[in-house]
Amino acid sequence: MNAIAIVIAFSLAMALETLPSGPVYGMIHPDFVAMLLLYWSIRSGSELSYTVVWLIGLLQDMMMGDVPGGQAVASVLMVYALVNGLGRVRHLSVWEQLVFIFMLLFAHRLIVWSWQLWSAPVSWHFSLLLSPLMGALLWPLFTYLLDYLRHHLKASS
Amino acid sequence: MPALFFPRRYPPLLRVAAFVLLSIVIAALSEKHPNMLNWSGNLTYPIHWLDLQATKNWRTVGEYLQDRRSLLAENAQLREKLKSLEPKLLENEILHNENRQLLALLDSFPQPPGRMAVAQVIAENFSPGSQLITVNLGSHNGVHVGQPVLAAGGVAGQVIHVADLSAQIALISDLDSSIPAQLAGTNLPLLVNGKGNIHWLSVPFQPRNTTLKAGDQLVTSGLGGRFPSGLHIGTISRVIHNGDEPFAQISVRPAVPLGQLTTVLILLKNKPTSRPDKA
Repeated sequence: MNAIAIVIAFSLAMALETLPSGPVYGMIHPDFVAMLLLYWSIRSGSELSYTVVWLIGLLQDMMMGDVPGGQAVASVLMVYALVNGLGRVRHLSVWEQLVFIFMLLFAHRLIVWSWQLWSAPVSWHFSLLLSPLMGALLWPLFTYLLDYLRHHLKASS
Repeated sequence: MPALFFPRRYPPLLRVAAFVLLSIVIAALSEKHPNMLNWSGNLTYPIHWLDLQATKNWRTVGEYLQDRRSLLAENAQLREKLKSLEPKLLENEILHNENRQLLALLDSFPQPPGRMAVAQVIAENFSPGSQLITVNLGSHNGVHVGQPVLAAGGVAGQVIHVADLSAQIALISDLDSSIPAQLAGTNLPLLVNGKGNIHWLSVPFQPRNTTLKAGDQLVTSGLGGRFPSGLHIGTISRVIHNGDEPFAQISVRPAVPLGQLTTVLILLKNKPTSRPDKA
């Protein structure tokens, strides 16, 4: 993927994460950055640089104001699980990928939640389940949109 | 893409473990030095700027599409509200004049409220663990860590991180937030803690036979010098006297609609020297 397109895509995903649209959106919106990492990981043939994944996660931590490291660790572990543990996900159809995407996004959310326990007694909340569910449901549309943009960019360059 | 820090010859698991360890070190350091990552606000400002533009455009579109009927209804509603507020305004003016006369009698003058700045909310993070907003003012505008933040209705939170052009504010509902308070009209010292939910705050450590009851108004006590005294925090909505618990469970509804903040007021009065209030 074009480096500039990747930077723009991640900037937009991060902007969507912190969009001031009220608490309901804040609780249920999917983790767009994690979804983009999964998409990038599935579509790129070679293994992603964990350094880049970690830096993106750290930037997200700083932007959200959370205890730094939570998103970074969750992103690195999620990509590792996808590449090394669930490598076959790449070969499944988008619809078949839904379950695995939900599992990975939920695991990501749980790691971020556990990390927050470092500084405060964060209690369990249903949004921890809702956000990955929304992400999984949006996955086909998300991949379709990004595939379309990729092909469009390739064709124009 | 080439590996930046670790050559690819190291096994992936080892690289992942190294990053986990590095993250733990950063988290531990940030706990010890909370202002360590203030500079990161500058790095993320372009993304917050995108948020601000998107929100502004969305509101403009919303206002443009608002139909005549809803505008008339809103107008009528505001006129009614104005009618009901006029007597209160008059009463306020009388009290204000009376207060000035009393202070003049005491040979003291009211302290100016200090400089205030109106800031626009450019990003939000409402998760169970964080109740944070980011605003478009930073150290260039005189914002410092620990400054109180107000909104229509009362206290909204306090500044916890400051970058050059933006600042992060922990709302009073954040799990780390704790404000010295008192019952309006009394000197009963209390604490109001955040619970990670924008709709509820709590008053901890009150005995089961507490005299606090639903409907009581809580205001800032001014203890600690962080918040001026007398600012509205919220109203007690429920007091549960559970036989098994050593303390009463007291829920408070915030005076400020924390989920709908678009602009806030930052009190720029003092430059604090210590960390924000923590429980």
